[in-house]
Amino acid sequence: MKKDLISMEDLTVDEIKDYLRLAHSVEDLPADERYRLLQGKIMAAMFFEPSTRTRLSFESAMHRLGGGVIGFAEKSATSVSKGESFTDTIYTVENYCDIMVIRHPGEGTARLAARVSSIPVINAGDGSNQHPTQTLLDLFTIEKDLGKISGIKVAFVGDLKYSRTVHSLIRALMKFDVTEFILVAPESLRLPKYFMMTDEPNKYHFYETNHLEEAISKCDILYMTRIQRERFPDLLEYEKVKDSYLLTAAMLEEARPHLRVLHPLPRVNEIAYDVDKTKYAGYFPQARNGVIMREAILLKHLGVKI
Amino acid sequence: MSERNEKVLMIPKIKLGIVIDHIPAGEGVKILEIISRYEEMQDVPVTLGLNYDSKKMGRKDLIKMQLEFLSPEIIQHISIVVPGVTIKAIKDYRVYSKVVVQAPKVIKNLLLCKNPNCVTNLESGIETLFHAVDEESNRVRCNFCERIFDRSELKPIIK
Repeated sequence: MKKDLISMEDLTVDEIKDYLRLAHSVEDLPADERYRLLQGKIMAAMFFEPSTRTRLSFESAMHRLGGGVIGFAEKSATSVSKGESFTDTIYTVENYCDIMVIRHPGEGTARLAARVSSIPVINAGDGSNQHPTQTLLDLFTIEKDLGKISGIKVAFVGDLKYSRTVHSLIRALMKFDVTEFILVAPESLRLPKYFMMTDEPNKYHFYETNHLEEAISKCDILYMTRIQRERFPDLLEYEKVKDSYLLTAAMLEEARPHLRVLHPLPRVNEIAYDVDKTKYAGYFPQARNGVIMREAILLKHLGVKI
Repeated sequence: MSERNEKVLMIPKIKLGIVIDHIPAGEGVKILEIISRYEEMQDVPVTLGLNYDSKKMGRKDLIKMQLEFLSPEIIQHISIVVPGVTIKAIKDYRVYSKVVVQAPKVIKNLLLCKNPNCVTNLESGIETLFHAVDEESNRVRCNFCERIFDRSELKPIIK
């Protein structure tokens, strides 16, 4: 039976651990061995909205495994722009490839594609709903950097209201028994209460603050996100908060020695360039881990064992 | 005759038909609204009673319809919007069958998703699907966009 990757909510902890194990194995494989694994297979990268990083890292992953890539990078390059329905596009493209990677602004589109398609579908982001491959690569990065996931303390900084990356990662970390979270956000961009809801309210602790400095010395992972200007109805409000979430190297003096600063990228002005040179900067290796995790995902969903 | 019985007589007994009983006071109108949206119900005589005394509920609403058979689709819709009501079939002025309807755990193509950016609202001809979030609450999750809503805030799909 074909296996799709649509939502983190569909995965058990054991299934997530399987992805992590596989990613570690992929990383240990020599490049020439890796290159033989998906020869003759074709991945369709169907990007109905632009996304440089996710698309390029999927394409890079497929090329590293020896497979071929077809696809498009924006809706205007497809027949959807001529009025073709989304499902007709899926029915057509599934004849051209072995696996589909879909990014679409509509929420639930990957789920719909998975339902109508006879080949595996990977969700590369559906509107503000899910982006499971980002969450998996974040978990892989945390496990690699800290040697474990459970029991760590994570601070999230920035737009916690709209960032699906943050929502999805918090829910996944909760599954891994991460119980302490520090949430640093302006009042208007705080984490919606729904994401803190759980059957075990006494187990999890969410500390909310407006001040980045408060979080730095207390966490193992500092997960930064971009504060998007367009999210603010009042631009004066944006001007007020934008710099209060700027992390600089000087602010990291009090940090725990093993602290890692992560960011889904692109950054705008949340992390000063002087942080890049510190031992804490984990965001560019995180981007590299994205390719490794996506190699693992492609292998798993194409049924190739290593 | 007690005051309570006098009030019950305000709605005439029916020889053949369907009675929806134990409707929480104030919810009867919601059920009436659903019923009236079905074409097959357009010519059916319907009586709505509001705020009757009830031993069990304090106050209740009541609906009587003069028709032999209520379609499973309408029953499902009622169960989603006002779960817990009793639907009784009447023959020769007597109740010959009754059932308490509860909201289904899986609601297929009966409610519209409220999220305008959900694929079920973007593409035509996609059947909606909701799952109950938990046993106790009225909350359901859209299978596609994964948003959670209160059942009562979602509009029914009438085919």
